Amino acid sequence: MRHERNFAEGREENGLPAERERPVPVLEVRNLKVSYSASGPQILKGIDFAVDGDDFCAVIGPSGAGKSTLIRCVNRLVEASDGDIILFGQDVRKLNGGELRRMRRRIGMIFQEFNLVNRMSVMDNVLSGRLGYTGAFRSLFKVFPREDIERALELLERVGLQDHVDKRADELSGGQRQRVGIARALMQKPEILLLDEPTSALDPKISRDVMRLIKELAREFRVPVLCNIHDVQLALETCNRIIGLQDGYKKFDGPAEGMRKQDLDEIYAMEVL
Amino acid sequence: MVAAVGLQGAPYLSYVERKRRRRVNNWVIAACIAVVLGWCIWDTVMVDTDWARMGGALGIIGTLERFFWIDWGLVPSLIVPALETMMMATLGTLLGCVFSLPVAWFGAYNVTPNRYIFYPLGRFLMVLSRSIHEIIWALLFVGAVGLGALPGILAVAMRSVGFISKITAEAIENIDPKPVEAIRAVGGNQFQVMYYGILPQILPVVIGTIIFEWDINIRRSAIMGLVGAGGLGLVFFRQMAMFNYGGVTLVVLAVLVLIAIGEVISHYARKAVI
Repeated sequence: MRHERNFAEGREENGLPAERERPVPVLEVRNLKVSYSASGPQILKGIDFAVDGDDFCAVIGPSGAGKSTLIRCVNRLVEASDGDIILFGQDVRKLNGGELRRMRRRIGMIFQEFNLVNRMSVMDNVLSGRLGYTGAFRSLFKVFPREDIERALELLERVGLQDHVDKRADELSGGQRQRVGIARALMQKPEILLLDEPTSALDPKISRDVMRLIKELAREFRVPVLCNIHDVQLALETCNRIIGLQDGYKKFDGPAEGMRKQDLDEIYAMEVL
Repeated sequence: MVAAVGLQGAPYLSYVERKRRRRVNNWVIAACIAVVLGWCIWDTVMVDTDWARMGGALGIIGTLERFFWIDWGLVPSLIVPALETMMMATLGTLLGCVFSLPVAWFGAYNVTPNRYIFYPLGRFLMVLSRSIHEIIWALLFVGAVGLGALPGILAVAMRSVGFISKITAEAIENIDPKPVEAIRAVGGNQFQVMYYGILPQILPVVIGTIIFEWDINIRRSAIMGLVGAGGLGLVFFRQMAMFNYGGVTLVVLAVLVLIAIGEVISHYARKAVI
C-alpha cells in the first residue's frame, strides 16, 4: 500500500496524473532504424509499436534479431539512426544531455548481467537507483535522504533480501543479484520498466521466480513493462503481449493468447516448442 | 618394401637436418653476444679504470675499512632528518596522487574528455614524469623554491605521477562497462558515473599502487638531500664532505631502517586494503 502511495506522489511531482487512465500510449515507436556505423548493416529496419499503461510486453526473436538494440534505444543507451521514440509524450531522440538524464530517471532498467557495482554493498547498489535525483554533494559522501533509505529497505524486504542489506553485491548468488537489480530499478519510482533479458543468466527455476516477482511488482506499482526475452515459454506465461522480431523486422505483434505455432515458426524461421 | 622404408626415412632425415641448422644458428648468436660483451668490458672497465690508484687488494680493503668504524655519536642528530625523510615521502606521495587524478582521467582512453587533445596530453605527462630522474626534478625545484624539504616533496610528487596515473588509467581502461551503463540508465551525471560506476572498481588497484609508490618514495626521499632538498641525504652529503666515513655508514644504516619500517607498514596496509 505504502509503495503505491509513494508511487502516486512521484507521479504528481512529475506533473502527471496520479491515475493510470491515459488516452495516449506510454511509449510509441515509429519507423525505428538503427545501424551502429554509417556503412555497417542495419540492425533494426523500421520498427513500429506502442506500449500501453498496463502492458507487460515481451520482445522475442532469435539471437541477433535486434531485441537488445530495440530496448536500449528507448533510454538511448544506443542511439537510433532514424525514426521517432515518443515516451511520456516527449521525443526521446530530441532530448539534450540534461533532459535525457531527467527522462532516464523515469525509466527503470533491469539488465541481463545485473550490472551491479560488485564492490559496493547491496544497499548502496539499490540506493544508486536514486542518483538521478541526488545532488553532487550527497552523492560524493553517499548520504541519501531518509525517505530514500526507508524505501530501499522496504524494497529489499519486498524482494526477499532483508538479510543481505550490508553484504557486498558480489557475495550474492545470481538470483539474489537480479533481485538487487529489481530493487534498484524500482527505487527510481519508474514510470516504465525496460528489461533486457532479465533471466538469461539464471537457471530455469530462478528465472520463473524472478519473472513472477517482476510481474507482481509491476502490477502493484502499475508500471508498464517492455521486456526482451528469448525464452518463449516464459514469455507466453508472463506477458500479456508479444512482439516478435526477426532480422530487424517486426514479424508479430499481438496478445500472448493469440499467438499460434505458425507465428512462432515465422519469427524463428524454424520449429520451436 | 624398400621404397616404403625410404619414404619413412625422409621425414626423419629432414628433421635431423633442421635440428642441426638450428644448433649452428644458436652457436653463431652466442658467439656474437660473447664478442660484444668482451668488447664492452674491455672498453669500459679495463681501459677506463685507474688501476694504479686502486693499489691492489689490500688498498681496496684499507679504503673500505674506514667505513666500518661507525660513528654512533651521530644518532641523536639523525632523528629529525629521518622524520623529515618520512614526511617528504608521505606528503610527496599524497601530492603526487592529487596531480595524478587529472592525468589518469586524461590518459584513460575510455573516459578522456577528448581523444585527440587530452588523451595524448595525459600520456605525455605520464612519460614526462617518469623519464626525468627524481634528482633532476629535485634540482629543478631547489632552483625554483630554494633549499629545504619543500623542493624534495615537489620532486617526489612529480616523479610519482607517472606510475600512479599510468596504473590508474590502465585500471580505468580495464573496468567492466556494465555497472557504468546501469548508472547512466538511472539518469546519473558524468561525475556520478565515475564515482559510482568506475571508482569502486579501480579502488583496490589504485590504493595498492599508492602504497607501493610510497614505499619507493621513502628511498627517493632519502637521497633528496644530495642536491640540498633536506632529509637524511643532506646529512649523508655533509658527512661525506667532512670525510667522516663512519658517519656516512650510520646514515646508510638509518636509511635501511626507514626502508624496513616502510616495508612493514606497506605490507600490512596492503593486506588491509586488498
